[in-house]
Amino acid sequence: MDLESIYEIDRVAEFICARAFRRVALQFPDELLKDSTRIVAALHEKLRSFNQLHTGSNGDAKDVRLYVMADTMYGNCCVDEVGASHANADCVIHYGHSCFSPTSTLPAFLVLGKASLNVPVCAKKLCDYTVKAGKPILVLYGLEYAHAITEIKASVGTQSCSRLEVRYADIMSLVITPSETFNGKPQLSDGQCANGCSTEENNASYRIGGLMWSLPMGHRMEDYLLFYVGSDNSAFANMLMTYNTCEIVRYDATEDLLVNDFSQQKRILKRRYFLIEKAKDASIIGILVGTLGVAGYLHMIHQMKDLITRAGKKAYTFVMGRPNPAKLANFPECDVFIYVSCAQTALLDSKEFLAPVITPFEAMIAFGRGSEWTGAYVTEFRDLITSSPMEAKDQSEARFSFIKGGYVEDLEQQDVEDVEDGVSALVNITAKALLVRDKDSQTVKMGTAKSGAEYFATRSYHGLDIHPENDFSEPFLIGKSGRASGYKNETTQQSL
Amino acid sequence: MMNKKRNIRNMSVIAHVDHGKSTLTDSLVSKAGIIAAGKAGDMRFTDTRKDEQERCITIKSTAISMYFELSKKDMTFIKSDDQKEADGHNGFLINLIDSPGHVDFSSEVTAALRVTDGALVVVDCVSGVCVQTETVLRQAIAERIKPVLFMNKMDLALITLQCDQEDLYQKFVRILENVNVIIATYADDSGPMGDIKVDPSKGSVGFGSGLHSWAFTLKQFAEIYADKFKIDPEKLMNRLWGENFYNPATKKWAKKSGDGYNRAFCMFVLDPIFKVFDAIMNFKKEDTTKLLAKLDIVLKGDDKEKEGKDLLKIVMRTWLPAGEALLQMIAIHLPSPVTAQRYRMEMLYEGPQDDEAAVAVKNCDPNGHLMMYVSKMVPTSDKGRFYAFGRVFSGTVACGQKVRIMGPNYVHGKKEDLVEKAIQRTVLMMGRYVEPIEDVPSGNICGLVGVDQFLVKTGTITTFKDAHNMKVMKFSVSPVVRVAVEAKNPAELPKLVEGLKRLAKSDPMVQIIIEESGEHIVAGAGELHLEICLKDLEEDHAQIPIKTSDPVVSYRETVTEKSKIMCLSKSPNKHNRLFMMAEPLPDGLPEEIDDGKVGPKDDFKSRARLLVEKYDWDATEARKIWAFGPETTGPNLLVDASKGVQYLNEIKDSVVAGFQWATKESVLCSENMRGVRINIYDVTLHADAIHRGGGQIIPTARRCFYASVLTAEPRLLEPVYLVEIQCPEPAIGGIYSVLNKRRGHVFEENQVPSTPMFIVKAYLPVNESFGFTADLRCSTSGQAFPQCVFDHWQIFPGDPMDGKSKPWQIVMDTRKRKGLKDCLPELDQYFDKL
Repeated sequence: MDLESIYEIDRVAEFICARAFRRVALQFPDELLKDSTRIVAALHEKLRSFNQLHTGSNGDAKDVRLYVMADTMYGNCCVDEVGASHANADCVIHYGHSCFSPTSTLPAFLVLGKASLNVPVCAKKLCDYTVKAGKPILVLYGLEYAHAITEIKASVGTQSCSRLEVRYADIMSLVITPSETFNGKPQLSDGQCANGCSTEENNASYRIGGLMWSLPMGHRMEDYLLFYVGSDNSAFANMLMTYNTCEIVRYDATEDLLVNDFSQQKRILKRRYFLIEKAKDASIIGILVGTLGVAGYLHMIHQMKDLITRAGKKAYTFVMGRPNPAKLANFPECDVFIYVSCAQTALLDSKEFLAPVITPFEAMIAFGRGSEWTGAYVTEFRDLITSSPMEAKDQSEARFSFIKGGYVEDLEQQDVEDVEDGVSALVNITAKALLVRDKDSQTVKMGTAKSGAEYFATRSYHGLDIHPENDFSEPFLIGKSGRASGYKNETTQQSL
Repeated sequence: MMNKKRNIRNMSVIAHVDHGKSTLTDSLVSKAGIIAAGKAGDMRFTDTRKDEQERCITIKSTAISMYFELSKKDMTFIKSDDQKEADGHNGFLINLIDSPGHVDFSSEVTAALRVTDGALVVVDCVSGVCVQTETVLRQAIAERIKPVLFMNKMDLALITLQCDQEDLYQKFVRILENVNVIIATYADDSGPMGDIKVDPSKGSVGFGSGLHSWAFTLKQFAEIYADKFKIDPEKLMNRLWGENFYNPATKKWAKKSGDGYNRAFCMFVLDPIFKVFDAIMNFKKEDTTKLLAKLDIVLKGDDKEKEGKDLLKIVMRTWLPAGEALLQMIAIHLPSPVTAQRYRMEMLYEGPQDDEAAVAVKNCDPNGHLMMYVSKMVPTSDKGRFYAFGRVFSGTVACGQKVRIMGPNYVHGKKEDLVEKAIQRTVLMMGRYVEPIEDVPSGNICGLVGVDQFLVKTGTITTFKDAHNMKVMKFSVSPVVRVAVEAKNPAELPKLVEGLKRLAKSDPMVQIIIEESGEHIVAGAGELHLEICLKDLEEDHAQIPIKTSDPVVSYRETVTEKSKIMCLSKSPNKHNRLFMMAEPLPDGLPEEIDDGKVGPKDDFKSRARLLVEKYDWDATEARKIWAFGPETTGPNLLVDASKGVQYLNEIKDSVVAGFQWATKESVLCSENMRGVRINIYDVTLHADAIHRGGGQIIPTARRCFYASVLTAEPRLLEPVYLVEIQCPEPAIGGIYSVLNKRRGHVFEENQVPSTPMFIVKAYLPVNESFGFTADLRCSTSGQAFPQCVFDHWQIFPGDPMDGKSKPWQIVMDTRKRKGLKDCLPELDQYFDKL
């Protein structure tokens, strides 16, 4: 396939022209960066030809300026609005895999790209699978394969191998407009809704990672078998997590294979459960801002803060770009981090991290008193925000911690009740912290501090030691020179 | 009655499995009129659970309160003023706890011992003192609990084994010696409890048969003969035991056996019993009638028709009623709460020995502050709710009283593990029934309603604001056998969670934790224990079908040599370097750390001295221990062996945090480390503080620890059971072959004196022990009965780095279970080149 069709140069140019954007940011993930110059060139070419067509009509002949954005702050799948606004752009063209997270200020056009797919083989496999399966089937796919779905549909239709129902998910609008109402009916992009399944009003509709579909009344997701076309990436993991009660098979397009062993992924779910349990024991929580673009992120952060304070714990907010173990370990006082980001980057496996990193949904379970995990999983903000704050059951029973194997009374809850004025509260806290330190200054006890200040008080090192009796100045020392990977004096050692 | 604290006796019945505790308890209960005398011995009143009745094995300890009146004459035997009420009241309240004998449930024994002051140690006079007898006795003494001894199953010795009198006497003497040796080993004569050895001539040893419900102490016989000899019963008791001989012809006593002289014990005590047995069992009707007349026994109605064993039971029970003898022994020899708490307080209370709570406990003061220790939770008929069962040490606990409930993690002055709630009700525990009661004064054992939601297993309940905790119980067994459980239907997870919570409560020992991988783990002391727990979980607590994994053993990771090379790790920004090496801790030190003999809270000077003297450490290094890990108390040490490093104190916290992390999840398969010492030799740090923050140091330190361990011949440690097997000689061959198949080895083999029974002691790795009991029964045709108890950690032979070895397989399995990468970690991941 040529560049033009893969990157849909035509449609992009049309989009820019139709809305009369003047400054356009093109956002590329790292793996597509190599094509960026060619794309820019092609786009320029196309836009110029469009302009020539239209100049006669309105006489507006200003050039459109294109900016290439790379190395985004957060996940590649999200539209980087902050980066775009550096260039003062008035729209973003996003290339590559996308999570379809709604934007908050700029309109965006998504170019998904087209991966090659062996349509006959895939259709055959799907057919075989339908024969074996005893349930209706729902076909989902990776966005890069969206272009091939109509073909598959046609191909399966001709083979007519089963009387069972086969449903196909549709792709959502490739144009994202920063509307505040993402609850409204999503616009369907032209030519995509061919099977006409979403005409009935009463249908329950589902959306996940750019796909949407609807099921007839009375049908639940568990009634369907999921057939996923695509590779094993974060989008698929997200799908697995969300529909963990459904049976799923994946068709791997590069290997032309059916994969249905997801024990590893199932294990992830359990691991998340463990992290939730662990989070319940935390007393200091860091909120990591993992996006500045996804609509509703501010709302989410406030909601989290509120939740944490209500649970009697202490929250700190961090903005640190993409988190890595070294960055997070700079804040050892945090017992757990909540990563507020788009659905597909939110799941960070935390083996390497000093403290677990959980999603807002997990935080809601962990800190909402009396709420228990039932197995359902929600990653997208809009579902979380709309879900009513869980009814806090008035339980008099202390919480049972499976990490410690005992009851844990969230003592701050009592603290919150006795209203103390700021000064005396501070005095109390300091006094407590000092007491702790006096008792066992030898050991640093992790996880007992209730706030950052208290944590620091228990550390053995507080800062510079100023010895007033030692007031003559130290002599100058000649430091090391060279680069950190090998100082000058060390290179000589190595050569020996 | 409960207010007469000097007339209260709190006691537990402890013994090896199958030595007849529950059966004996029945006789006591029947004496108190709770069950019919005829049923005593068969009913096992204290085995309240269905499975206990079916298996004939006690699983949970059960408490009963009984009232008993001592005759005026016997009251004179009680010498101390603290042991009886001043007004000469002769009614006694006896709170008795029947405990299980199987080693898997020995946590129940520990819980029972804590709330009692005296223990009735039951020993089967045929098989003698067994391993569990020793364990429980040792525990009792450590808790400062006064023992009295009861030799059970005399009927068996007489009828089945047909011992003669002198043999039987020698048997008794041997058991007595064994018991006293144990007591002498673990107790201190000059200690606050005084001499606690048991002595028949003092009346603190009973003899009899629980099954037939008869028993006596020498006091009984002394009283019978006292008139005849015109000697004071107390003096006579001395003569009835030991090397005292009597010549009936000359009517003279002697200290040595000689012609015409008979041992007093045999002649006056055993002889009549033997005669009765002989007459009845051999159907000598005339002799029987004569004997009965002599003994003043009048048989009633249809009892007269009975013959043989049945008749024997009736006769013996009427002649020497067990309840009477035992209760006398208990009332006379076991301490009252007033006596006991005086010397037990310092062992019980963690706080200063002179604060109000301590003084109240010491004096057992019912008007002082309430101090109560809850030792276990007893399920109620109401699903999911529990009675908090415990002992009131001071003050009075009453319905509606507002109390502070302090869990085991409560630290004085903090608010952790502390709630203030009102007690809903107080109850007396009566075996299968409970009796509501208004209030319970100090010295008593009772149950509380309404505090179970705040305590997992144990805790302290008090009204004193500045009270410290009562000491947490130390169990003799540890939960080494683990299974992962999950609900068959994943949607029932909340039910499972709720069930696990209840299970954790209902058993003092079981541990419920959640693994890294998100699996719920139930850990118990042994296979039987776990089996019972899981059954309870499925049927009672969660009431959902449950999937159980195969038993999983938890391992430890250790090193066997000093690191081959100096390990260097660089921080992510390459500006900081850490140089470390690992080496094993000397033998015995990890155990000392486990026991708390060496710990992070010790004074560093005295700790250093100990390490230098006992383990040959370098004196300067011994003073520079940075941390213990994991959990800041574990058996691994981080030592600063560097000299003159700038900014070192600044990164100490970060390195220690990395150490805690790495020792908790070690490199091979994320198990805990054990017995590893890590030395920091050198550190290069960036001059700017911002470049040597926690973010740079913590992960780097962890990597460096891993590199050090990997280069120091890492090994797995596996838990090992001490197995004691009792069997007849022909079965020994079978035992050896089963043990050999399972990597076990025998280290001791003894014949039980004057029986055909042997006791074999062996070490058996825990992960080979699954199905061991069944296998052993099978290959010895059911003659061998093993008891396993966790003993120590041992290196699993084989190099886990070698792809063909057994430990490698275990590492892989563990990694898979925990969802780690499917290969061994490479050194390159952790080790950096200069």
